[in-house]
Parts: sequence; C-alpha cells; structure tokens
Amino acid sequence: MLAVDVKNIKKTFISKQDKVEAVKDVSFQVKQGEIFGLLGPNGAGKSTTILMLTTLLSITDGSASVLGIDVSTKDKEVREKIGVALQDTGIDNLLTGRELFFTTCRLWGYSKKNSEKKTIELLELVGLMEAADRRVKTYSGGMKRRLDLGLSLVHSPEVLFLDEPTTGLDPGSRRVLWDEIKRLRDNGVTIILTTQYLEEADELADRIAIIDEGLVVAEGTSDQLKAGIGGDVITFSFENTDYLENAKNILKNTVQEKNELRITVEDGASKIPGYLKDLSSNGVEVSSVSASKPTLDDVFLQVTGYRLEGSEDIKKEEEKSKR
Amino acid sequence: MELNRSFLLQLQILTKRMVLRVVRRPLAELPNIFISAFFLFVYDGALGDVFGGSVSGTPFDFANGNFVNFILPVSILSASLSGAASGIYLVEDIESGVFKRYQSMPISKWAIILAPMNVGAVKVLLQASLILLIGNIIGADPAVGAIGYLVVLSLAFIGGMGIAGYSVAAGVKSGSSQGAQAATFLFFPALFLAPTFVPREALKGWLQTAAAFNPTTYLIESMRSVLVEGWVIDVLVKGYLVGGIFAAITLFLAVTSARKATEKA
Ligand SMILES: Nc1ncnc2c1ncn2[C@@H]1O[C@H](COP(=O)(O)OP(=O)(O)OP(=O)(O)O)[C@@H](O)[C@H]1O
Ligand SMILES: [Mg+2]
Repeated sequence: MLAVDVKNIKKTFISKQDKVEAVKDVSFQVKQGEIFGLLGPNGAGKSTTILMLTTLLSITDGSASVLGIDVSTKDKEVREKIGVALQDTGIDNLLTGRELFFTTCRLWGYSKKNSEKKTIELLELVGLMEAADRRVKTYSGGMKRRLDLGLSLVHSPEVLFLDEPTTGLDPGSRRVLWDEIKRLRDNGVTIILTTQYLEEADELADRIAIIDEGLVVAEGTSDQLKAGIGGDVITFSFENTDYLENAKNILKNTVQEKNELRITVEDGASKIPGYLKDLSSNGVEVSSVSASKPTLDDVFLQVTGYRLEGSEDIKKEEEKSKR
Repeated sequence: MELNRSFLLQLQILTKRMVLRVVRRPLAELPNIFISAFFLFVYDGALGDVFGGSVSGTPFDFANGNFVNFILPVSILSASLSGAASGIYLVEDIESGVFKRYQSMPISKWAIILAPMNVGAVKVLLQASLILLIGNIIGADPAVGAIGYLVVLSLAFIGGMGIAGYSVAAGVKSGSSQGAQAATFLFFPALFLAPTFVPREALKGWLQTAAAFNPTTYLIESMRSVLVEGWVIDVLVKGYLVGGIFAAITLFLAVTSARKATEKA
C-alpha cells in the first residue's frame, strides 16, 4: 500500500476580489518508509498541498489518500494516522515545553500517567529536556522547530507531514533536524516534507517532486533527476559581453546566466577542447571553462527556466559556519 | 493503550490550558478591574452626597439614602465587560496557528470553542465578585439582604456571557484579536446610554428612548432593584429576560461564526 497517493489535486481559492489557482495539478506517490521532498520556491503551492493532504483544506478537484484512506471523505481516520507540523507553527508561547507535550498527549487521549511518560520520551527525543520547564517564548527558532516536530509525534503517526521544517535555521540546527528526520524514517515513519532548499532535498529526500506555480514539473530520485538532464554541464565564462554574444551564436543550445554560458552534453570533459578551438578560431576569448556533473540546481533551472533563489544563501551560511 | 477523548475531558484540558495563559499574563487583567473599581469610587465620591440624599434639601433621593447601592450595578456591568476576553483568547489562537494545530487533531470543535467561553465566564464571575466585595466594604447594603449579591452576580454573569458571545462573533468575523477588542468598545457607550446615574424617568427625552432599547438598562434596573428597593418582581423578570435574550442571540452568533471558522476553506 502506498503511504500517500495524490491524483491530480487542485486548489482554487475564490474570494470577492479574485480567484487564485494555488495548486493547479499535483500528483505524486509516496512509498511507505521513504522521505519525500516537495521542492519549490515561495508561492509554488507547497503549503496548500500539505494543508489539503492533512485534511485542513478542502480539495477543489482530484483525489488523495493516505495509507489507502481517502483524505476528503474520511478526514477523522486520516488524522489518526498522520502527524503534522505546519509552516506557521502554532505554538503556545506562554506554556512550557513540558506543559505543551503533556497537554498534547492528553488531548490525543492518553492517561495522565502515560502522558507524563510520553512527555519525557519526546522531550528527550527532540533534545529539549534541559529547556523543558522554560516557557516556549524563550526558545530559539531551532528549538521551536524541534518542539514542533516532537508535538507532531505524540501519537506515533505512521505518516508525517513537515512543511518547511528547517526554514530560517542556521546550518548547525538544520543538520540536527535532518538527522532527526532520517532517524524517524529509519524507524519506519514515512515523511513528506517541503523545502525551498536544493541541498535539503538532495541530502534528505529519497525522492523529490519539483513544484512550481502549482504544478509538478519533475519527479524522481535526486540521481534520476540529474541523469534526466542528459550529460554533464559545461560552463564557459567571458570577460565581456561581445565575447559572450559571439559565443552564443557559435555554441548552440546554451543557457546564459550573467557572464556565463552553460551547455549540457554527454561526456562533457572530452568535448571541451573542441569547443575551445571553435571559439578561439572565431576570435572569442574564454576566461574560464569547467565541466561538472549536473546538480539539482541545474535540474531546477532546466525544468522551471530559472534558478531557485535562496539556494545560494544556504551555501554561504554553511561556509560561514565552517569558518 | 486505552485512549480517552471524551468531550468533557477535552474541554477540561483546553480550559486548563487557557487558564494557564491567563494566569501567566496577570497584568492584562488589571485595566478592567481597575476601571470598574474606579467607577465605583469616583461616582460615589462625586455624586454620592448629592444623589444619596445626605445633602439636605436635594430632591434627588432616589437611592434611598445609599448611593453605593445605586451605582454598584454600573461597576458590576463594567466588570462584565471582561467576558470579551473569550473572543480575544479564541482569536489569539487563530492568529498564532494554535487553532489550526487543534484542528489537525481529533479534538471536538465544540471543546475548542467552549474553552475560551468558560474562561470568560470565570473571569466575569471573579471580577464581579471582587467589585461586589469592594462595594460591600465601602457601604453597599442590599435591600433584600445578602442574597441580593447573588442576584446581582447572576445578572452580571448573564450580561458577561452576552458580551463573551459578541466578542467571539466579532473576533472570528474580523479575524484579529484587535478586532475583537475594538468591537467590545461599543459596550462603553452602551453603559452610559442607560439609566447610569439617575433613574430612567429622570433622563432627557432622546436618552430615555435610547435607554429603552438598550439591554444594559434592564440589567442595571434589575440589579438596582434588589440593592435599593427590595423584591420588585416585574423589574427582576425583565432583567433576566432581556439579559437572557441578549446572551442567547450573541452566543448563537458566536457558535455559528466559530463553526464557520472551523470548517475547511
Ligand atoms: N487562503 C488563501 N487565499 C488566497 N490565496 C492563497 C491562500 N493561500 C495561499 N494562497 C496563494 O496560493 C499560492 C500558493 O501558496 P502556498 O502557501 O501554498 O505556497 P508555498 O509553496 O507554501 O510558498 P512558501 O514557500 O512561501 O511557503 C500563493 O500565490 C498564495 O498567495
Ligand atoms: Mg509554504
């Protein structure tokens, strides 16, 4: 049985002023025990998709099921099986971490004794034991995210939905959360997470769907997606725009980005000398050239026509923290 | 593992959680208590001698010699305004996303809606009791005896629930806790378009008409009757009836609007 089966779901928000097609056509399937990443920029429709799958938003068209249970018609049953950590975290700032876990356990129906036991287990699991008796108001962003994750685990859900679990976290905290999520997967929990970070999708997700403007534009494992580009990426950079424009005419099928041209070909390294010869015989000077395996970044550029902004930031942050 | 998800248990857990929130922000409670007590002291100090009959020769002795009895209902109703907290608390949860979290769990939506109402009701009772206590200390003396305080408290409670319902409806409709707060300011004029300082007969023409349509009037008059005069059954019945109808209407609005808020978009 599939953990999640999404068939052509659609969400249209209709208000007096206008009509927003937040999700136009999204389909994907998640197997049990895998981490599935929904990768997309701001406004792509990630949260809307998650809200529909977690029964919090009605589905305009199409159908979805979780562990074979229909999301639209059997929302109560679905809620029993799933854990949810939404993007705009609803956390009660005035309570302590311990109180929040305890209250949540009680609301799920556990006895006082079991709730106390579970509270301690979960506090330990997400590494908040030391801060347990402090008000959540005093928690850092990373601690709040871990708290949120912990709260979504109270009833030991089989399928976990995490909407941008690491957005806004520093690289260190992000790693901690990644490890946590992997550990959950290794314990058999199926995880559907959204992210706007390429690296996160690459590192964490067993399979990825790239979502843009309410549509799934690519799907597969990270390697499949990269292989789908069909070869290696050769990058040429130029001193001035004249060279660049000339080069564009000489090399066919290039993608321009600032003062660089990219071209995707099979077996890139062996083709470089040929290209360089063509260019120099036409008087074009190349200031640098390199061939590399395609990254998820390249995949994103190819399927959407633009780069995912912010993916640079995470690299910079990582470098900063290494220093 | 045996799971207990009864409605009453969930209501109790959610109410307790909300009480914790209130207790952790004690300063937020002060303004309303302060204003209510302030009304009592200032009006008694400013008007007590004139309207209370102790200034010889004034024709205004409608307080039977004790102005605290006469003015106490105004302070009490001002304390009832604390019922507006229900709406504010509920909308705070909607704003913060806690509401959504609860919706994603198997929790009765009625428990989610009723918990802040419960807390609002308790606040009204506590604040009104506090004002009654202050009133008693500075000389209130119900004509029907101490049981009069219970009558006043019950009327304050009904009024408070009416305000609670209104605040929930207004808050959910406006979608912000400021909205809920702003909407309850409407009740301040209502407190004065009423026989606040003098009996209804003594009001000027237009104000008398306005007062006749203001539920506050009937609550004040019924409270006042047991404090100043004794058992005046028809006034008392009118107070409970008007207060009850007002509360029923606003609670109905609260429930329908809150139910809409818990529905999926
Ligand atoms: N309740 C709503 N009413 C109208 N439009 C909405 C509503 N919720 C979302 N949208 C619109 O739908 C689109 C998708 O929003 P969504 O929140 O799903 O994006 P997202 O991928 O989660 O973005 P982000 O990375 O910023 O969280 C956006 O254009 C948004 O403005
Ligand atoms: Mg989002």
